[in-house]
Amino acid sequence: MRVAFVGKGGAGKSSLAGTFARVLGAAGQRVLALDSDPMPGLAFSLGVAQRDAGLPDEAVEEYDDGGRRRYRLRDGLTGTGAIEKYAVRGPDGVYLLQLGKARGPRWDNTRQHFGFQQVIDDLPGDGWHVVGDLPGGTRQPFLTWGRYAQTFLVVVEPTPASMLTGRRLAKLATTASAPAVMVVANKVSDPADAMRVAERTGLPLLGAVPHDPALYRADQCGRAVLDHDPDGPTAGAVRSLVAALRRRTEPA
Amino acid sequence: MKIAVVGKGGSGKTTTTGVLARTFARSGHATLALDCDSNPNLGISLGIGEEATERLMSVRDAVDAGTEEHASSADDLVERFGVEAPDGVRLAVVTAIQNPEPGCP
Repeated sequence: MRVAFVGKGGAGKSSLAGTFARVLGAAGQRVLALDSDPMPGLAFSLGVAQRDAGLPDEAVEEYDDGGRRRYRLRDGLTGTGAIEKYAVRGPDGVYLLQLGKARGPRWDNTRQHFGFQQVIDDLPGDGWHVVGDLPGGTRQPFLTWGRYAQTFLVVVEPTPASMLTGRRLAKLATTASAPAVMVVANKVSDPADAMRVAERTGLPLLGAVPHDPALYRADQCGRAVLDHDPDGPTAGAVRSLVAALRRRTEPA
Repeated sequence: MKIAVVGKGGSGKTTTTGVLARTFARSGHATLALDCDSNPNLGISLGIGEEATERLMSVRDAVDAGTEEHASSADDLVERFGVEAPDGVRLAVVTAIQNPEPGCP
Protein backbone atom coordinates (compact mmCIF):
# COMPACT_ATOMS: atom_id res chain seq x y z
CA MET A 1 0.00 0.00 0.00
CA ARG A 2 1.01 3.61 -0.54
CA VAL A 3 -0.45 5.88 2.06
CA ALA A 4 0.16 9.50 3.08
CA PHE A 5 -0.93 11.03 6.39
CA VAL A 6 -2.28 14.59 6.19
CA GLY A 7 -4.17 16.89 8.55
CA LYS A 8 -4.01 20.02 10.64
CA GLY A 9 -0.80 20.74 12.53
CA GLY A 10 -0.79 18.84 15.81
CA ALA A 11 -3.58 16.44 14.77
CA GLY A 12 -1.24 13.48 15.30
CA LYS A 13 -0.01 12.69 11.76
CA SER A 14 3.56 11.82 12.73
CA SER A 15 2.60 9.75 15.76
CA LEU A 16 0.14 7.69 13.78
CA ALA A 17 2.26 7.42 10.61
CA GLY A 18 5.31 6.17 12.49
CA THR A 19 3.32 3.65 14.50
CA PHE A 20 1.49 2.57 11.33
CA ALA A 21 4.79 1.97 9.49
CA ARG A 22 6.19 -0.10 12.35
CA VAL A 23 3.08 -2.23 12.65
CA LEU A 24 3.43 -3.07 8.94
CA GLY A 25 7.15 -3.72 9.40
CA ALA A 26 6.53 -6.01 12.36
CA ALA A 27 4.24 -8.07 10.10
CA GLY A 28 7.27 -8.83 7.93
CA GLN A 29 6.50 -6.25 5.23
CA ARG A 30 9.10 -4.06 3.49
CA VAL A 31 8.23 -0.54 4.52
CA LEU A 32 9.58 2.84 3.45
CA ALA A 33 8.60 5.62 5.85
CA LEU A 34 8.83 9.08 4.29
CA ASP A 35 9.09 12.27 6.28
CA SER A 36 8.33 15.13 3.90
CA ASP A 37 7.99 17.69 6.66
CA PRO A 38 10.79 20.28 6.69
CA MET A 39 10.37 20.13 10.48
CA PRO A 40 10.76 16.36 10.65
CA GLY A 41 9.17 14.46 13.52
CA LEU A 42 8.63 11.00 12.13
CA ALA A 43 11.90 9.62 13.53
CA PHE A 44 10.49 9.96 17.07
CA SER A 45 7.41 7.84 16.52
CA LEU A 46 9.43 5.28 14.56
CA GLY A 47 11.92 5.01 17.41
CA VAL A 48 14.85 5.93 15.15
CA ALA A 49 17.64 7.55 17.14
CA GLN A 50 19.33 9.14 14.13
CA ARG A 51 17.70 12.49 13.40
CA ASP A 52 19.21 13.14 9.96
CA ALA A 53 18.06 10.72 7.26
CA GLY A 54 17.87 12.86 4.13
CA LEU A 55 19.34 12.44 0.66
CA PRO A 56 22.79 14.08 0.58
CA ASP A 57 23.38 16.77 -2.05
CA GLU A 58 25.58 14.44 -4.14
CA ALA A 59 22.67 11.99 -4.62
CA VAL A 60 20.83 14.52 -6.77
CA GLU A 61 22.16 16.14 -9.94
CA GLU A 62 21.02 19.22 -11.78
CA TYR A 63 20.40 19.08 -15.51
CA ASP A 64 19.16 21.38 -18.22
CA ASP A 65 15.85 20.61 -19.87
CA GLY A 66 15.30 23.03 -22.75
CA GLY A 67 16.53 25.97 -20.66
CA ARG A 68 14.78 24.84 -17.46
CA ARG A 69 16.74 23.71 -14.47
CA ARG A 70 15.66 20.27 -13.33
CA TYR A 71 16.87 17.69 -10.89
CA ARG A 72 17.20 13.91 -10.97
CA LEU A 73 18.94 11.15 -9.09
CA ARG A 74 22.65 10.90 -9.87
CA ASP A 75 23.45 8.79 -12.92
CA GLY A 76 23.32 5.11 -12.00
CA LEU A 77 21.43 5.65 -8.73
CA THR A 78 18.03 3.90 -8.64
CA GLY A 79 15.22 4.50 -6.17
CA THR A 80 15.87 1.21 -4.41
CA GLY A 81 19.62 1.91 -4.48
CA ALA A 82 19.07 5.31 -2.88
CA ILE A 83 17.02 3.74 -0.11
CA GLU A 84 19.63 1.08 0.58
CA LYS A 85 22.40 3.65 0.61
CA TYR A 86 20.81 6.63 2.35
CA ALA A 87 17.70 5.54 4.27
CA VAL A 88 18.11 4.81 7.97
CA ARG A 89 17.00 1.37 9.13
CA GLY A 90 14.86 1.56 12.24
CA PRO A 91 13.06 -0.85 14.58
CA ASP A 92 10.88 -3.51 12.92
CA GLY A 93 13.04 -3.11 9.80
CA VAL A 94 11.38 0.11 8.65
CA TYR A 95 13.43 2.29 6.27
CA LEU A 96 13.24 6.01 7.02
CA LEU A 97 13.95 8.68 4.43
CA GLN A 98 13.57 12.39 5.17
CA LEU A 99 13.11 15.23 2.74
CA GLY A 100 15.76 16.95 4.82
CA LYS A 101 15.68 19.51 7.55
CA ALA A 102 14.95 23.13 6.90
CA ARG A 103 18.28 24.91 7.15
CA GLY A 104 18.38 28.64 7.65
CA PRO A 105 15.58 31.14 7.13
CA ARG A 106 15.37 30.83 3.34
CA TRP A 107 16.09 27.15 2.83
CA ASP A 108 15.55 26.04 -0.74
CA ASN A 109 14.51 22.41 -0.81
CA THR A 110 13.98 22.15 -4.58
CA ARG A 111 16.94 19.82 -5.05
CA GLN A 112 16.02 17.45 -2.21
CA HIS A 113 12.36 17.63 -3.09
CA PHE A 114 12.81 16.41 -6.66
CA GLY A 115 15.36 13.76 -5.66
CA PHE A 116 12.98 12.54 -2.97
CA GLN A 117 10.09 12.30 -5.43
CA GLN A 118 12.21 10.45 -7.93
CA VAL A 119 13.18 7.84 -5.37
CA ILE A 120 9.49 7.10 -4.90
CA ASP A 121 8.66 7.24 -8.61
CA ASP A 122 11.46 4.77 -9.27
CA LEU A 123 10.48 2.38 -6.50
CA PRO A 124 9.31 -0.96 -7.79
CA GLY A 125 5.82 -1.31 -6.38
CA ASP A 126 6.20 -4.98 -5.68
CA GLY A 127 6.79 -5.74 -2.07
CA TRP A 128 7.20 -2.15 -0.89
CA HIS A 129 4.78 -0.32 1.32
CA VAL A 130 5.16 3.45 1.43
CA VAL A 131 3.96 5.36 4.50
CA GLY A 132 4.36 9.13 4.23
CA ASP A 133 4.04 11.97 6.71
CA LEU A 134 3.20 15.27 5.02
CA PRO A 135 3.50 18.81 6.38
CA GLY A 136 0.49 20.02 8.34
CA GLY A 137 -2.23 22.08 6.72
CA THR A 138 -3.75 22.27 3.29
CA ARG A 139 -1.04 23.60 1.00
CA GLN A 140 1.59 20.90 0.29
CA PRO A 141 -0.85 17.97 0.00
CA PHE A 142 -2.44 19.75 -2.99
CA LEU A 143 0.91 20.32 -4.67
CA THR A 144 2.91 17.27 -5.75
CA TRP A 145 4.12 16.34 -2.27
CA GLY A 146 1.94 13.29 -1.88
CA ARG A 147 1.61 12.16 -5.47
CA TYR A 148 2.86 8.67 -4.59
CA ALA A 149 -0.16 8.09 -2.35
CA GLN A 150 -2.95 5.78 -3.43
CA THR A 151 -4.66 6.55 -0.14
CA PHE A 152 -4.64 9.75 1.88
CA LEU A 153 -5.45 9.28 5.53
CA VAL A 154 -6.71 12.57 6.95
CA VAL A 155 -6.02 12.70 10.69
CA VAL A 156 -8.71 14.75 12.44
CA GLU A 157 -9.36 15.60 16.07
CA PRO A 158 -12.96 16.22 17.15
CA THR A 159 -12.36 19.98 17.31
CA PRO A 160 -13.85 22.61 14.95
CA ALA A 161 -10.54 23.76 13.39
CA SER A 162 -9.32 20.21 12.88
CA MET A 163 -12.61 19.09 11.31
CA LEU A 164 -12.68 22.19 9.07
CA THR A 165 -9.14 21.35 7.89
CA GLY A 166 -10.29 17.77 7.25
CA ARG A 167 -13.15 19.03 5.12
CA ARG A 168 -10.72 21.14 3.06
CA LEU A 169 -8.44 18.09 2.62
CA ALA A 170 -11.37 15.93 1.49
CA LYS A 171 -11.01 17.71 -1.87
CA LEU A 172 -7.81 15.72 -2.44
CA ALA A 173 -10.10 13.04 -3.88
CA THR A 174 -10.71 15.29 -6.90
CA THR A 175 -6.99 15.80 -7.72
CA ALA A 176 -5.28 14.27 -10.77
CA SER A 177 -4.38 10.85 -9.38
CA ALA A 178 -7.88 10.40 -7.88
CA PRO A 179 -6.59 8.88 -4.64
CA ALA A 180 -8.80 7.30 -2.02
CA VAL A 181 -9.29 9.71 0.88
CA MET A 182 -10.37 8.47 4.29
CA VAL A 183 -10.50 9.99 7.74
CA VAL A 184 -8.93 8.73 10.96
CA ALA A 185 -10.57 10.23 14.03
CA ASN A 186 -7.80 10.90 16.54
CA LYS A 187 -7.82 11.72 20.26
CA VAL A 188 -11.47 10.68 20.60
CA SER A 189 -13.10 10.38 24.01
CA ASP A 190 -16.24 8.52 23.01
CA PRO A 191 -17.65 6.80 19.90
CA ALA A 192 -19.84 9.81 19.10
CA ASP A 193 -16.64 11.82 18.48
CA ALA A 194 -15.64 9.50 15.63
CA MET A 195 -19.08 9.70 14.05
CA ARG A 196 -19.01 13.50 14.28
CA VAL A 197 -15.58 13.61 12.62
CA ALA A 198 -16.83 11.45 9.73
CA GLU A 199 -19.97 13.52 9.34
CA ARG A 200 -18.28 16.93 9.50
CA THR A 201 -15.49 16.03 7.09
CA GLY A 202 -17.78 14.12 4.75
CA LEU A 203 -15.15 11.37 4.56
CA PRO A 204 -15.43 7.61 5.08
CA LEU A 205 -14.08 6.64 8.50
CA LEU A 206 -11.20 4.13 8.48
CA GLY A 207 -11.06 3.98 12.25
CA ALA A 208 -10.65 5.89 15.50
CA VAL A 209 -7.75 6.30 17.89
CA PRO A 210 -8.60 7.11 21.50
CA HIS A 211 -7.21 10.01 23.49
CA ASP A 212 -4.18 8.37 25.11
CA PRO A 213 -2.18 9.96 27.95
CA ALA A 214 0.61 7.44 27.28
CA LEU A 215 1.18 9.15 23.94
CA TYR A 216 1.92 12.46 25.67
CA ARG A 217 4.30 10.74 28.08
CA ALA A 218 6.07 9.00 25.19
CA ASP A 219 6.36 12.39 23.42
CA GLN A 220 7.74 14.05 26.50
CA CYS A 221 10.57 11.55 26.81
CA GLY A 222 11.17 11.41 23.05
CA ARG A 223 10.24 7.75 22.67
CA ALA A 224 8.09 5.94 20.15
CA VAL A 225 4.69 5.20 21.68
CA LEU A 226 5.09 1.65 20.39
CA ASP A 227 8.19 1.22 22.60
CA HIS A 228 6.78 3.17 25.53
CA ASP A 229 3.44 1.39 25.69
CA PRO A 230 3.47 -1.51 23.18
CA ASP A 231 0.05 -2.84 24.11
CA GLY A 232 -1.64 0.45 24.96
CA PRO A 233 -4.66 2.11 23.34
CA THR A 234 -2.71 3.88 20.54
CA ALA A 235 -0.82 0.75 19.49
CA GLY A 236 -4.03 -1.29 19.51
CA ALA A 237 -5.97 1.27 17.51
CA VAL A 238 -3.21 1.64 14.90
CA ARG A 239 -3.06 -2.16 14.50
CA SER A 240 -6.77 -2.03 13.70
CA LEU A 241 -6.18 0.79 11.18
CA VAL A 242 -3.49 -1.22 9.42
CA ALA A 243 -5.72 -4.29 9.28
CA ALA A 244 -8.67 -2.25 7.99
CA LEU A 245 -6.64 -0.59 5.24
CA ARG A 246 -5.02 -3.87 4.20
CA ARG A 247 -8.47 -5.41 3.86
CA ARG A 248 -9.43 -2.54 1.55
CA THR A 249 -6.26 -2.36 -0.54
CA GLU A 250 -5.24 -6.02 -0.71
CA PRO A 251 -8.40 -7.91 -1.59
CA ALA A 252 -8.07 -11.62 -0.91
CA MET B 1 2.38 47.38 18.56
CA LYS B 2 2.81 44.57 15.99
CA ILE B 3 3.01 40.97 17.17
CA ALA B 4 3.62 37.79 15.15
CA VAL B 5 2.83 34.42 16.73
CA VAL B 6 4.88 31.46 15.47
CA GLY B 7 5.58 27.86 16.51
CA LYS B 8 5.18 24.19 15.63
CA GLY B 9 1.88 22.89 14.29
CA GLY B 10 -0.61 22.21 17.05
CA SER B 11 1.33 24.12 19.70
CA GLY B 12 -1.40 26.73 20.07
CA LYS B 13 -0.49 29.62 17.75
CA THR B 14 -4.03 30.26 16.52
CA THR B 15 -5.64 29.97 19.96
CA THR B 16 -3.03 32.31 21.47
CA THR B 17 -3.51 34.81 18.64
CA GLY B 18 -7.27 34.81 19.02
CA VAL B 19 -7.12 35.45 22.76
CA LEU B 20 -4.43 38.14 22.41
CA ALA B 21 -6.41 40.00 19.74
CA ARG B 22 -9.65 40.00 21.70
CA THR B 23 -7.87 40.96 24.91
CA PHE B 24 -6.27 44.01 23.25
CA ALA B 25 -9.58 44.97 21.68
CA ARG B 26 -11.37 44.70 25.04
CA SER B 27 -8.88 47.07 26.61
CA GLY B 28 -9.72 49.67 23.98
CA HIS B 29 -7.05 49.17 21.30
CA ALA B 30 -8.02 49.16 17.64
CA THR B 31 -6.97 45.61 16.74
CA LEU B 32 -6.28 43.97 13.41
CA ALA B 33 -5.86 40.17 13.40
CA LEU B 34 -4.11 38.80 10.32
CA ASP B 35 -4.38 35.13 9.42
CA CYS B 36 -1.28 34.34 7.36
CA ASP B 37 -1.76 30.57 7.48
CA SER B 38 -2.39 28.73 4.20
CA ASN B 39 -4.94 26.76 6.24
CA PRO B 40 -6.67 29.71 7.92
CA ASN B 41 -8.54 28.87 11.13
CA LEU B 42 -8.13 32.07 13.14
CA GLY B 43 -11.80 32.92 12.58
CA ILE B 44 -12.76 29.92 14.67
CA SER B 45 -10.54 31.00 17.58
CA LEU B 46 -11.86 34.56 17.39
CA GLY B 47 -15.41 33.24 17.49
CA ILE B 48 -16.90 34.15 14.10
CA GLY B 49 -17.90 30.54 13.41
CA GLU B 50 -17.11 28.04 10.70
CA GLU B 51 -19.20 29.48 7.89
CA ALA B 52 -17.74 32.96 8.10
CA THR B 53 -14.24 31.46 8.39
CA GLU B 54 -14.80 29.47 5.21
CA ARG B 55 -16.25 32.49 3.42
CA LEU B 56 -13.07 34.48 4.10
CA MET B 57 -10.96 31.61 2.79
CA SER B 58 -12.97 31.36 -0.41
CA VAL B 59 -12.54 35.09 -1.12
CA ARG B 60 -8.81 34.64 -0.63
CA ASP B 61 -8.76 31.50 -2.86
CA ALA B 62 -10.62 33.43 -5.57
CA VAL B 63 -7.52 35.64 -6.00
CA ASP B 64 -5.40 32.59 -6.87
CA ALA B 65 -8.15 31.35 -9.17
CA GLY B 66 -8.19 34.72 -10.96
CA THR B 67 -11.84 35.48 -10.21
CA GLU B 68 -11.17 38.11 -7.53
CA GLU B 69 -9.16 41.28 -8.00
CA HIS B 70 -5.90 41.71 -6.12
CA ALA B 71 -6.04 44.28 -3.34
CA SER B 72 -5.11 47.78 -4.49
CA SER B 73 -4.11 49.06 -1.05
CA ALA B 74 -3.73 47.92 2.52
CA ASP B 75 -7.16 49.38 3.36
CA ASP B 76 -8.74 47.54 0.42
CA LEU B 77 -7.06 44.32 1.59
CA VAL B 78 -8.44 44.59 5.11
CA GLU B 79 -11.85 45.59 3.77
CA ARG B 80 -12.40 42.91 1.13
CA PHE B 81 -10.51 40.04 2.74
CA GLY B 82 -11.66 40.84 6.23
CA VAL B 83 -14.64 40.70 8.54
CA GLU B 84 -15.70 42.11 11.88
CA ALA B 85 -15.08 39.70 14.78
CA PRO B 86 -16.26 39.85 18.43
CA ASP B 87 -14.97 42.69 20.66
CA GLY B 88 -14.47 44.77 17.51
CA VAL B 89 -11.41 42.90 16.26
CA ARG B 90 -10.97 43.21 12.49
CA LEU B 91 -9.91 39.86 11.01
CA ALA B 92 -8.36 39.54 7.55
CA VAL B 93 -7.05 36.45 5.75
CA VAL B 94 -3.78 37.47 4.09
CA THR B 95 -2.07 34.21 3.18
CA ALA B 96 0.88 34.82 0.84
CA ILE B 97 -0.30 34.86 -2.76
CA GLN B 98 1.34 32.73 -5.45
CA ASN B 99 1.64 35.34 -8.21
CA PRO B 100 1.82 38.83 -6.75
CA GLU B 101 1.06 41.72 -9.09
CA PRO B 102 3.15 44.91 -9.17
CA GLY B 103 2.00 47.22 -6.41
CA CYS B 104 0.28 44.44 -4.49
CA PRO B 105 0.22 45.47 -0.81
